[in-house]
Amino acid sequence: MSVDTFHYDNKIVRNFGIATMIWGIIGFLVGLIVALKFIWPDFLGFIPELSFGRLRPLHTNAVIFAFAGNAIFYGVYYSLPRLCKASMWSKKLSNIHFWGWQTIILSAVATLPFGITTSKEYAELEWPIDIAITLIWVIFGVNMIMTIMKRRERHIYVAIWFYIATFVTVAVLHLVNSFEVPATLLKSYPIYAGVQDALVQWWYGHNAVAFFLTTPFLGIMYYFIPKASNRPIFSYRLSIVHFWSLIFIYIWAGPHHLLYTALPGWAQTLGVVFSLMLIAPSWGGMLNGLLTLRGAWDKVREDPVLKFMVVAITAYGMVTFEGPMLSIANVNAIAHYSDYIIGHVHNGALLWNGGLTFGMLYFITPRIYQTKLFSTKLANIHFWFATMGAIFYVIPMYWGGITQSLMWKDFTDQGFLTYPNFLETVVQIVPMYALRAFGGSLFIIGALFGVYNLFKTAKSGSLLSSEKVQAPQLREHFGDENESWHRKLEGRPLKFTVLTVIAILIGGVVEYMPTALIDSNIPTIESVQPYTALEVEGRDIYIAEGCNNCHSQMIRPFRSETERYGEYSKAGEFVYDHPFLWGSKRTGPDLHRIGGKYPDSWHLRHFYDPNSTSPGSIMPAYPWLLSQNMDMKSMPDRIDALRTVGVPYSSRYPEYAIDDMKFQAERITQGLRENGFDVIEGVEITSDKKVIALIAYLQRLGTDISGETDPFEELPSSKKLSNVILEDN
Amino acid sequence: MKESVNIKRTTCSHCGEPVDIERDSELNFCCTGCETVYHLLSDNNLCTYYDLVDSPGTTIKNSLERKRFDYLIDKDVQEKLIDFKNAEVATSSFNIPNIHCTSCVWLLENLQNLNDGVLQGTVNFLKRKLTLVFDTRKTDLRSIVELLTTIGYEPDLTLHQLEEKEQQSIPRDLWLKLGVAGFSFGNIMLFSFPEYLNMSVSDSVDTFKVFFGVLNILLAIPVLVYSSSDYLKSAFAAISQKGINLDVPISIGIVALFGRSLYEILSGTGAGYFDSFAGFIFFLLIGKIVQKKTFEGLSFDRDYKSYLPISVLKIVNGIEQSVSVKTLSVGNEIVLRNNELIPCDSILQSDSTIIDYSFITGESTPVTKMHGDPVFAGGRIMGAQSKMLVSKKVVHSYLTQLWENDGIKSNEQRDHSTLADRISPYFTITVIGIAIISCLIWLYIEPSKAFTIFTAVLIVACPCALALSAPFTFGSATNILSLNGFFLKDIDGIESLGTIDTIVFDKTGTITDSEKANLTFIGSPLSEFDKQLIYTTTRNSTHPYSKKICSTLKEENISDLSPDFIEEVRGKGIHSSYKDYAVHIGSKSFLEDSIGSKINTSKRPGSHVHIAINYEYRGSFEFKNKLRVGVQELIEILRVNYDLHLLSGDNEKDADQLSKYFKGTDNMHFNQSPSQKLDFVESLSNKNQKVLMIGDGLNDAGALKNSHFGIALSDKTSSFSPACDAILDSKELRNFKTLLDFSKDSIGIVNVSFGLSLVYNITGLYFAITGHLSPLVAAILMPLSSITIMVFTTFATRLKARKMGLKIWA
Amino acid sequence: MGVIFFLILFSISVALIFLAAFIWAVKSGQFDDKYTPSVRILFDEKNSSSNNKTQTSKRDS
Repeated sequence: MSVDTFHYDNKIVRNFGIATMIWGIIGFLVGLIVALKFIWPDFLGFIPELSFGRLRPLHTNAVIFAFAGNAIFYGVYYSLPRLCKASMWSKKLSNIHFWGWQTIILSAVATLPFGITTSKEYAELEWPIDIAITLIWVIFGVNMIMTIMKRRERHIYVAIWFYIATFVTVAVLHLVNSFEVPATLLKSYPIYAGVQDALVQWWYGHNAVAFFLTTPFLGIMYYFIPKASNRPIFSYRLSIVHFWSLIFIYIWAGPHHLLYTALPGWAQTLGVVFSLMLIAPSWGGMLNGLLTLRGAWDKVREDPVLKFMVVAITAYGMVTFEGPMLSIANVNAIAHYSDYIIGHVHNGALLWNGGLTFGMLYFITPRIYQTKLFSTKLANIHFWFATMGAIFYVIPMYWGGITQSLMWKDFTDQGFLTYPNFLETVVQIVPMYALRAFGGSLFIIGALFGVYNLFKTAKSGSLLSSEKVQAPQLREHFGDENESWHRKLEGRPLKFTVLTVIAILIGGVVEYMPTALIDSNIPTIESVQPYTALEVEGRDIYIAEGCNNCHSQMIRPFRSETERYGEYSKAGEFVYDHPFLWGSKRTGPDLHRIGGKYPDSWHLRHFYDPNSTSPGSIMPAYPWLLSQNMDMKSMPDRIDALRTVGVPYSSRYPEYAIDDMKFQAERITQGLRENGFDVIEGVEITSDKKVIALIAYLQRLGTDISGETDPFEELPSSKKLSNVILEDN
Repeated sequence: MKESVNIKRTTCSHCGEPVDIERDSELNFCCTGCETVYHLLSDNNLCTYYDLVDSPGTTIKNSLERKRFDYLIDKDVQEKLIDFKNAEVATSSFNIPNIHCTSCVWLLENLQNLNDGVLQGTVNFLKRKLTLVFDTRKTDLRSIVELLTTIGYEPDLTLHQLEEKEQQSIPRDLWLKLGVAGFSFGNIMLFSFPEYLNMSVSDSVDTFKVFFGVLNILLAIPVLVYSSSDYLKSAFAAISQKGINLDVPISIGIVALFGRSLYEILSGTGAGYFDSFAGFIFFLLIGKIVQKKTFEGLSFDRDYKSYLPISVLKIVNGIEQSVSVKTLSVGNEIVLRNNELIPCDSILQSDSTIIDYSFITGESTPVTKMHGDPVFAGGRIMGAQSKMLVSKKVVHSYLTQLWENDGIKSNEQRDHSTLADRISPYFTITVIGIAIISCLIWLYIEPSKAFTIFTAVLIVACPCALALSAPFTFGSATNILSLNGFFLKDIDGIESLGTIDTIVFDKTGTITDSEKANLTFIGSPLSEFDKQLIYTTTRNSTHPYSKKICSTLKEENISDLSPDFIEEVRGKGIHSSYKDYAVHIGSKSFLEDSIGSKINTSKRPGSHVHIAINYEYRGSFEFKNKLRVGVQELIEILRVNYDLHLLSGDNEKDADQLSKYFKGTDNMHFNQSPSQKLDFVESLSNKNQKVLMIGDGLNDAGALKNSHFGIALSDKTSSFSPACDAILDSKELRNFKTLLDFSKDSIGIVNVSFGLSLVYNITGLYFAITGHLSPLVAAILMPLSSITIMVFTTFATRLKARKMGLKIWA
Repeated sequence: MGVIFFLILFSISVALIFLAAFIWAVKSGQFDDKYTPSVRILFDEKNSSSNNKTQTSKRDS
């Protein structure tokens, strides 16, 4: 019999579906919590694990990798076998993939709130988890590719192309961005420093959005829109063009995240140009999706699946228009660091990713449970909650973002900043934060309705866990072979060139790798020195507490910023920053020139209770910094790790690291004591507390450029060692 | 066309045709054919077929006789139909005109449920093509074709299919070349960025320069050796034949660009122009693809083979068996059924039959042949089946001869040199001239720069935009025309269309509509009752005239009387009696015999059917062809600036009604044999008039091919049409003038965009000669010019079309 | 800015992988038919298998 009988594994689909919903709800709730912290900074009290700086990464990771991630696999595991007319290649791998991925997410939950993070956005997870991610991702890839190999349908539908692109690109991005040297079991330093690190991070960051939140969902769109509306995609030809042009342009658009930074001008412009070019394919895709439904609007009116998807595509259109616009230098100058960006990404996340995901859930669940949706009415209610929620989220953020950014840039006629105190600009938009929280809650309530609805749907039916299917085996059309023999010949030289070029490139990478990273040709500034041991500890605390989530360390060359923060940042100042801490959002002021701006005591009080120094501040209090001890033990290892990534500490510095820490810390506490800050609210300030290290770091920030003081002066190491810092560069 | 349409709401569950006898069940079928298919499908759980689209089937009016496909067992027929074959599997593809909806795709790709010998079916919807892989041990070509036919998807198997396989509309490697060029273009542009912004950022500039330079070279090589190969080859060919086509200046540009860039990078004197180079090829290739635009599913070069059936029933010692027509030899006895084509000249064996030659001669009136009469290939049998004796092999038959006629063959080399090609020699010479001159001048001013200037000139003068003008204009024009039911064989056709000054019409089926000839009764007016009698009588005859009369009377809704007795004398007439009325309808002779007296008919030309009731002559129905709707008006406007002619294989019967359009009778030629038509067109073109011929049917084929531009009129574009330069949907004939004007205007647009592109070249030359052609300038100028042309031409054509009231959106 | 070299090289390699994929796809005739596949995905192949009724009714839910 020429017809094979095989089975679709609906169980794995179901599992990913459930995971999507659970993680979705969790991710949304964490989001709501952090949103509320903008209104009530001390919401949930002073538990370090629940502080904003630690929860925010958890939120982003949860929604991106847990919610969207599982949604992607949900869509892929449902559509891929059906498009290939073949069951997934290995059920075992499918399950390893599922449980592996959930474990990774759990480990994220188990690390991020405890301050174990790399501080790189969307790549916060520490090195052991990075490795796990790589493994699981490869397993997913193998399973997918093999399924495609074993397909029974000759044509590879465009959706599959999008899935493949996702796998390949994300793999490369993840690897490149995760080059890091472990210092301890849960702490590592990236091999890139400062500007380079920033460049890599945003090359990754941008493409993570591109290839994790866009291409897979486009694939999903190209499968589920036609399926749900039961009509072929408007123009299949267009969809093919869409794919290839998108793939070839997207990868280059990264640098637009670094406009006005210390990145070379041409690289910035490059990013801008390619970002602008992206409009074409993106809108091509959007129109293709929407036009598919022309003449079927009656269907859209009834069917919640289509409703969600239509809104999703529309949002995609808006976001992909906004994106390139935001990458235009002048626009970016206003929007960057502001809440506008937050609005922008949530527009995409809530409606594009969220919309498609819920659309899928409503489409697949009744089918694999062989029943009808429990309540279309409820689904429609969900739809409206989601849409309104998104609107109430996005618009205030746009409004607030612009308002605040303009206030930052506003000058009086006399040429002074109109709002010299950063706080004024914050207080101004707190109402917007409140509205945002409201919008978020609406969205969550909607999602809860959805979950309930789908739960009842599942209850009402029974899971068709493995679906029997029959399809004829794939036969080659020998005719084509005969036709194309001469083409093959013609193709040879081409193939050859391509292969050689690949070879040359890989060779180049390997050969160039060591040299480029050690002597990276950044204009170095003589006076810039590595951090002292204590400052390194302080920096790691800064990272652990996630300060970079609200504070940037990159002053752009605008008068409005130099007036407010001081001298603008130079590429050369970051050469010892592993990782870079430029940040991407200013909920609080920039900190690059904070060093020496306030006395130590100010910082101490400010950490204990921000309002005591800055009334009305929405910065949460960090009392535990005053009670928790800093980590001295692992400092030598960390110094070693930093040396491996190219920070020129003398090889013997690790021996003296701890002495240095103690000495410098004691010096600071001494100073505080003299000013009568030995006890705050009954808490005695001793030199081994985290806050001391953090203060040391902050006071050091951005001071080197003046070159007045040598940070290692008087430290034990400098007494013992002829040169703590190797001179050769 | 179906005769008895009774207006009922119920339609066939399978094909959606109206149903005569309504059943109580919700399933209704118009014919047993449809019913069988339905049950066949439902028995095999293939009823999804019906869920996908309402009544997707095609009617199965003529149920299939097994013998029809016997010839598919024939080895050499299989040879031709099977693309690949090994011990157990074979691949074969069929053209299936009936593929029309989603359901068709679904059913044809699930054939394995109907015949488990089928391994896999793949449908190409646009090409209406089904590719089947089947197990030769389980099934064979014949049973598959029979299966397809039973379910209403009869593949069209004609001699033509046997001869050649259809080729890729746009060759894959063109897409590849485009892909490679595009890829390199994007990336080279990327790596040239630092150069554009002469990156003064860091001291690492030089490292970058080298790095990017090398990458650019690597990326540019495939573009040169692969993507641009066609142009280089063609240019080389042209030169080696001492000719210059547009590819020559293009190639010069290509080489100059590449060489110069390579030199600059390797010598470190500059960044080169690789971005312009790749972009240039990229745009050129887009142009090429546009040029290659074809209409899938339409065929423009059909010859007699496309009309002849592959097989015919041959009588071998008493038993009918189907054989491939090519095997027929003189003396074979063959049987043809109603509506079958006579494959080769033969002698009629049956005592009489009616044959419709309109196909070859254009004469719309069927002729009656008697036993022993010679009948010619291409004639179509009407009415009952008839035997005949082969007198000539297919290849020697009249029809074939007509086609092989050297007149037709000759004009293969009709010049299609495009405007671009014509100007390119001058262009090239000018460019090289300028290059040399400016080179000399600079040798005088500053020798070091001379070489740079020389190459620079060659680079900017590259006629990229020029080369794109025609393809893009004609491309979009062709699209617009196709939206308006006018399909061109290739887009350059527009150019030759623009030069037309003479139009030759074929009458039958072209300007007149043989479907609805209008008949007028000459003689004493008929009473209601008379009409009833005639209706009753004609209703029972298959003769086309009877049908025509019958249907005309039907329009006056004449009621039916059931006759007591009816007798049809084939080829003469019909005689019926009702109560005590005797009715005779037929040819003059027939009536004279039956009423036994001479009758004097009116001397009017045209064909007549005579009526006698109760042996008394009442008069005759005169058949007159009716002009197609809008044709009068069309000819009225055309005659103003074109020299109009009428060619007809038909007799003069309509001369009077037409003469007023074709300035008197001297421009009208009747009773033209195909070869005469051909000669006529020939003679016109010898008076170097640019002749446009509009015709249908094979009888015009010669003339169509021989005219400067041949248009085949077709009622449904998917159906057969003879070899031609364009196919015109007959419904659109009325708009023909507009379409013609539009084509002419689009040539104007091309000229304008030629102008535009020249402006760009000149601007470029300015930069080049003055020595300011920086890579950036080139990189901006080159794509900009190309894009300008694309945008301009597309918009200009659409705008024009809108003004002329043509459809511009599907 | 040594790292820019890598990013470019990595990016290009990725791009080249896709170019290779593109070449393969075109050569193997993946894009010869640019319409039918879009229709084909609409069919629920399970209907072709000769078994239970629920399936046909499911498509229109």
